[in-house]
Amino acid sequence: MGVGAWGRSWLPSKRADRVRWGLAIVLLLAAAVVPPVSLYLEAQGLIESARFEIVLGVTSLILALWAVSYNLMLGYAGMVSFAHAAYYGVGAYAVAILLQRYNISYFAALALAPLVAGAVGIVTGFVALRAVRLYFSLLTLAISQLLYSLAEGWYSVTGGDNGINGIATPDQLTDYPTLYYFVAAIVGVCLLLMFVLTRSPFGAALLAIRENRERARSIGINVKAYELAVYTIAAMFAGVAGALFPLVQPSVVPGMLFWTENAIPVVVTLLGGIGSFLGPGLGAFIYTGLNNSLSRDFPYQLDVLLGAIVLAVVLVVPGGFASVPDIISQLRRRVVGEGPAPADAETKGEAISMIDVTRAVESHAIEAEHTEKGKVLLKLENLSKSFGGLRAVESVNLEIHEGDRHAIIGPNGAGKSTLFNLITGRVRPSSGRVWFDGRDITRKPVHRIAKAGIGRAFQITMIFPKLTVLHNLQYAMLAHRGRTIEPWGIANRIYRDEAMGLLDAVGLGPYADLPAGQLSHGDQRAIELAISLALGSRMILLDEPTAGMSAFETRKAMELVRTVARDRNLTLLFCEHDMSVVFGTARTVTVMHQGRILTQGTPDQIRSNLEVQAVYLGELDLDEEEAARA
Amino acid sequence: MDPGNFLLFATGGLADAAYLFIVAAGLSLVFGALRVINMAHGSLYMIAALVSVVVANRLGAGIGFLPALLAAVLVAAAIGAVIEVTVLRRVYGHEHLVQLLATYAIALIIGGAARLIFGSNYRTTSTPIQGSLTMLGYSYSLYALVMIVAAILIGAAMYGLLFRTRLGRNIRAAVSDPDLLNASGVNVTMLYTTVFVIGAGLAGLGGVIVAPSQAVDPTIGDSVLVLAFAISVIGGLGSIIGSAIGALMVGEVISFGLINPTTNSFALAFVFIIMTVVLTIRPWGLFGRAET
Repeated sequence: MGVGAWGRSWLPSKRADRVRWGLAIVLLLAAAVVPPVSLYLEAQGLIESARFEIVLGVTSLILALWAVSYNLMLGYAGMVSFAHAAYYGVGAYAVAILLQRYNISYFAALALAPLVAGAVGIVTGFVALRAVRLYFSLLTLAISQLLYSLAEGWYSVTGGDNGINGIATPDQLTDYPTLYYFVAAIVGVCLLLMFVLTRSPFGAALLAIRENRERARSIGINVKAYELAVYTIAAMFAGVAGALFPLVQPSVVPGMLFWTENAIPVVVTLLGGIGSFLGPGLGAFIYTGLNNSLSRDFPYQLDVLLGAIVLAVVLVVPGGFASVPDIISQLRRRVVGEGPAPADAETKGEAISMIDVTRAVESHAIEAEHTEKGKVLLKLENLSKSFGGLRAVESVNLEIHEGDRHAIIGPNGAGKSTLFNLITGRVRPSSGRVWFDGRDITRKPVHRIAKAGIGRAFQITMIFPKLTVLHNLQYAMLAHRGRTIEPWGIANRIYRDEAMGLLDAVGLGPYADLPAGQLSHGDQRAIELAISLALGSRMILLDEPTAGMSAFETRKAMELVRTVARDRNLTLLFCEHDMSVVFGTARTVTVMHQGRILTQGTPDQIRSNLEVQAVYLGELDLDEEEAARA
Repeated sequence: MDPGNFLLFATGGLADAAYLFIVAAGLSLVFGALRVINMAHGSLYMIAALVSVVVANRLGAGIGFLPALLAAVLVAAAIGAVIEVTVLRRVYGHEHLVQLLATYAIALIIGGAARLIFGSNYRTTSTPIQGSLTMLGYSYSLYALVMIVAAILIGAAMYGLLFRTRLGRNIRAAVSDPDLLNASGVNVTMLYTTVFVIGAGLAGLGGVIVAPSQAVDPTIGDSVLVLAFAISVIGGLGSIIGSAIGALMVGEVISFGLINPTTNSFALAFVFIIMTVVLTIRPWGLFGRAET
């Protein structure tokens, strides 16, 4: 419960954290005393059958495991799957078939079940993840029904629509309290493993993917691989839950795999709170209790009630769900008027940046003196891209030297954005090659190119808005250094100091613990710049870096870019419509027109080039530009 | 397989395709215009089927069918209007996750309510048109042939609605740019409600048409919903012609699966294999347009 699935970890209220941990401990203690309390109550004549209550407890535990594993996908990775019941069913069938046909012990079957479910999960998940978001969900629906049809139709193995009956409980577990503690131990170990996973760098990568898939790719995360990994892991834990199921009910039927069965983990997860790790566990006990007390007398009212609860959760917190501590702390903030920090920090940050700007302007003046050329860092060879009949980029040859600040200008539709997309791998070239630092990076996937050292700032700011500014950087470092495959450790504690140092360098130190989405437009650009630095980028592509900024912000941002580029020997490649930015920052300017390179030169050469003036600068009043630069 | 036998299975497939097309076309229409996957679509189908059976049985088979059809489609459309106004309006433009969960919750509520009102036992009614036709040695129920004709008429009507009327033009415009449509004086809110009500009505119509030929209970919507998804995904979400082709494929696969018990067990599996293959190779379906 420590890590908020919906980026709650940024919340300053430590009290909400304490409440959450307290709730978790109470829940675990309550779960631990179910058998003795039931036996005591039975002895006192307060309940009819302790055995019945203990079996309910076992059911809740199994359900808790199933739902928490579902929430690994839903809450942490933002994936809606309709096939999770199928993996639960596969786990149950695996145990039943192994027990009855191969006559091995229940415990061996229990150990094999997650492997079977995981194997089915990785194969089907590979297929489902060929699509994204909605189409992913629809594919899981198809897979779920496919597995269901197999369970129902494959008589020789699954017993067809009769299922498999009379699955014996092993002798060691016939005593009910023993059964309870056995299941509790298995579920406990599984929950612990999943908890460690969610806090680990691997969990951080999932959060990044849920927040912003595009950005996750460009910080070097192989999105599909991580989604497949979490899908398979969730399937394995669902398989364990399914394998425990025959302990409370000695038969498995194809209906367990039918897609509507996914209502159970969905409802349980939403009941307990999608935003917390143990929430679905709490939901499992509530659900089992409700189910047991209502299903005898009001079975259909229960469905209506559960539907209404899901609907309420979805509608009341639109755009995402949060658990109760979150809502309470938000309400309290609203009621008490305990304003969040941004307003204050903003003014402070402004003052700091103002000093930075003055300092940067001075240093730029000195630095502008020497403009020696380094080796060729990026080389484009005959690069072309056509979309249908439209030739967006045509036979572009371009060399960009290390340490250069290279601007690409040209009217709208000149092919600048396509060129950038070709370099970063978001668009595949029709022909031609891209070389970076002597290596061929043509047609390499986005995350590989990012790792090679080409960073990018997007036309529309692409950060992880719900994560804190600091976590934005930490997760980028984890991803870039290949540590997000680690399923242990605590992500939020790794690279903390280094990330703080970078934030100070771009003047964002005071904002470290705020959600990135709350910062001003200009400061969000600065986060992107810092992320690029965190990725160890040697070259940064800026696509209209100052679009949508005020004149003051523009100056501030470009000074920052220049300072950082000089201090860290970065190579800049940018396109921009604001000529004062272009001529104030660039050392080399390339002019594009209708997908081709028209000319290239120093800013002064470009200004005096008549051809350029004809196609592009003609609209501009050069005197005014001169004035702006002075 | 002799020609008579083949014709028998092919016609059975057409009859299945007929009602599946009507249901899938509604789902597809709603997705095309509103960009929302309606998980409660099958529930509307189920409610309409139950209502029509109850009304038809009350009034007597034959005479009762038309009033039953009218009542059932109206009920489905009315529930659709309520869903659109109270829930969907709040989730347009949200992530698919929110929309899926919200409409899924509605499906749970309608399912529970249907069991409360109608009980969970299955009900049957007799076909409004009795009689049969013999071709190549096999006899065909006239009602199955009427279903096929009805589906063709409904498909033609939808085509006319979308491409020959002002409403259809607005719907198509809403698909490409709702903001621009709004700015040009069209009440997009009203338009969305209308589209969703039409979609709900089609779900209901599918339910009514199929009701006399099978047992009806509150779970029939669950399997139809998945088939409707399969059809509209194969054909391309948002495409009416795609739904027709998809329905034909699914209907025929299921029907020819009846040839022997083994193929029967795996016919459904085969439908989902087709769906998976299409989604993997061409995620936007055979006739759909790629989503950017």
